[in-house]
Parts: sequence; structure tokens; C-alpha cells
Amino acid sequence: MSNLIQQSLPLTSARSPLLQFLRYRGKINIQRPKEPHYERARVIAVTQPKYPEPPKAITCFQSRAQRTGTQLENPYNAIVAREVLNWLNHSRLAAVFHLNSINADEIFRVRVQLHKQNMHLKSYGRKIIGQAVTGTAYEAILPLFHSNHCIVFSPNPQQIGALLRITRKVPQMVLLGGIVESKLLSRNELMDFAKMPSLQVAQAQLVQTLNQAAGTVVQQLQAHQCNLVKVLDVHAKGESSSTEEAT
Amino acid sequence: MSVPFSGTLRRSGGIVSAIGKQLKSVNLKGVKRITVQFDPFAENVKSTREFLFLLSTPKVSLSNPKCVVKPEIVCDRSPAFIKFSLIDSAQEQAKVKEIRFNSANLNTLELLQLCNQHVSTLAPPEEITNKVLTKAEKQKLGGGAGGGKKATKKK
Repeated sequence: MSNLIQQSLPLTSARSPLLQFLRYRGKINIQRPKEPHYERARVIAVTQPKYPEPPKAITCFQSRAQRTGTQLENPYNAIVAREVLNWLNHSRLAAVFHLNSINADEIFRVRVQLHKQNMHLKSYGRKIIGQAVTGTAYEAILPLFHSNHCIVFSPNPQQIGALLRITRKVPQMVLLGGIVESKLLSRNELMDFAKMPSLQVAQAQLVQTLNQAAGTVVQQLQAHQCNLVKVLDVHAKGESSSTEEAT
Repeated sequence: MSVPFSGTLRRSGGIVSAIGKQLKSVNLKGVKRITVQFDPFAENVKSTREFLFLLSTPKVSLSNPKCVVKPEIVCDRSPAFIKFSLIDSAQEQAKVKEIRFNSANLNTLELLQLCNQHVSTLAPPEEITNKVLTKAEKQKLGGGAGGGKKATKKK
């Protein structure tokens, strides 16, 4: 105010500018605030938020049920369930293992070895697998997922041998069962499947057995002629050797 | 007048902390070999599988590194069992060669409680091998003459 009243010549005034600094050297007071003016206090009182009070008449059990009962379903679970079903549909071999307590290093080593063979090690929760699999043809594998587990997916069922070889070195992974070409196999059946020869070899064996029937007939018909030819050969060799000795 | 206090001062931590408490006191020193047999498609094998997992944890397996845990998978829907093959001293103490738990109708906590009741008690007591003496203890034992000699040597 004092700098508005002109007491000296205009340009010679040494008054400070109209800016007036309120704070100097930090330490502001927030712990003992000034009581607000009545009008301000009235506005604050009116604008305070009012929250609905929980009913005090319900029992502890009811309140606990309310707290734990309403759990919203996470839509991400549906996405992961769809991914699981996709993996199951597109891999011709899926092996389920029980997983004992294992280091992250060791499981990573197994994962790398499997990845080199184009096999994929995955693990999902039981709830998600249940959501993915109930109502489909894969429902029968659900009992395998009650405890700590992992799944190995592979596009080629002939890799069961490589899979067993890699997991034999890992004592923490216990084979429980698997799905091969949409057929559920138990552990023993999977081991037998691994010992079986490949499809081409099996086809060759089948062709051989089919040809064997016709082959035996032909052999039996030609038996006498072949025998005669052999005897004549031996006789001829015997004569030629005797003539050579004579000469 | 006030009612005298009745009830617990502390709330229990639930089944998980009960399992943890039992796990801390599992001692496999008296066991040579553990065979866990189950059919994964049978009913009620969850507790067996959980027990197998808990036996494979480092804390439990370090209580006896020589003890082998062998899981066996069968396919004939036979009920699950867990067999503990005891070492010789434990066999003499218990007068049996092996202990078998039929775990089809037991849950994980009960399995651990039975294990602590029957198996952990058969662990042979630990023998104190050479105790390493600290310098101060050695000097105390050495006595005045030894201490004096050491002092002159140092100088």
C-alpha cells in the first residue's frame, strides 16, 4: 500500500516491486493449521464425502462369506485357456510330468535341451486347464494336474524317445501320462510306444508279412525244381574238378 | 462383573502353517530309501503327490543326503502308498524293516504328522565330532606356561 502513495519523484522511488514474497527459508506450518473462517468451514462440512456403512447386524460368518464369495472372473484366464486348448489341438504329442522341487537353473537347462528338439515345456494352473479342457475331448487328463506339474508339447510323436532320454537325466520330472495323436496313454503305454519302431518300419514289416503268404506258395511250387538244379550243379562241379585232376 | 477370559490369545495360521511346522521337524536320518507309489489317474492321490513334492524340497532332503526318494508310477488304479525302508539301527529300534503309509485316505498334514510320529523319532542321535577350538579357548586350556612361551616367541 505504501508503495502506491507517491512521496518522491516517479523514477527515483526505491520501493520494492508489487511482488511480495510470502515464504522465506522453508519450514511451513501444516501441523497446527489455522481454524477456517465460518463460511469456509461450512462449505467444507457440506462437501465431505459420505460412504455407505456396512450393516452391523450380519454375523462374522456372513461377512466372511461376503468378502470371499464375490470374486470376479479375470478375462485373462479365458485367453490363457484358449491358448492351452490351441496347444493341445495342434501338438501331436503332449506329455504331462509331475514336477518335484527343482532349481530354476535346472528347469531352464531342460527347457533349452527340449527347445533344441523343437519341443515346448509349459506349465499352467489347474483352474485354467480345467477351464480350457472341460467339455472337450481332453477332459480325461484333468486328474493329472492336482499337484505341481509341467507339460511338454511336440508336433512330432516320434520324438518321444528324445523326450524320455532328456527327462531321464532329470530326477525331479516324473512322467505321468500323455496324449499321442488324440489318444490318451498312460505311462507304461508311453514307454511301450517309445520302444515301438517308426511308422515306415512298421509299414515295411506289414508289407513283408503280406508278401510272405504268396512267397511261401511260390517257394513250395519251385522247391523240387530248385533242388534238382542244385544237385545238377554239384554233380557238374564234381565232374569238372575230376576232369581237371585227370588233365 | 466381567466374564473370565476364555478362548485363544493367538489365532492359528491355518493348514499351511501347520504343514510348515511339521515340515520343520521332519528328520529322515533313519531312512535308507523312500518309495512313493501312486497311479496318477486314481482317486485321492493329491496328498501323495504333495507329500512327494515336500520330500523333495532341499531342507528335507538335506536332513539325509544318502536317502533316495523313488517315485513309482503304476497304471492299475491301485491305492497309493509310501514306503520308508529303515537303516539297520532304526530297524533294531522299531523292530520292523520298513514302514508303510497307505495314503489313499490321508491328507498331506496327516501324512506329515504320521511321518514325524513314526519315522523322525527313529533318527539316530547326532554324535558331536571334533569341536574346533578358538584361539582364546586354546590359550585358556594351554595355561600360564604355554601362554608365557607364546608371548616370548612372538617377541
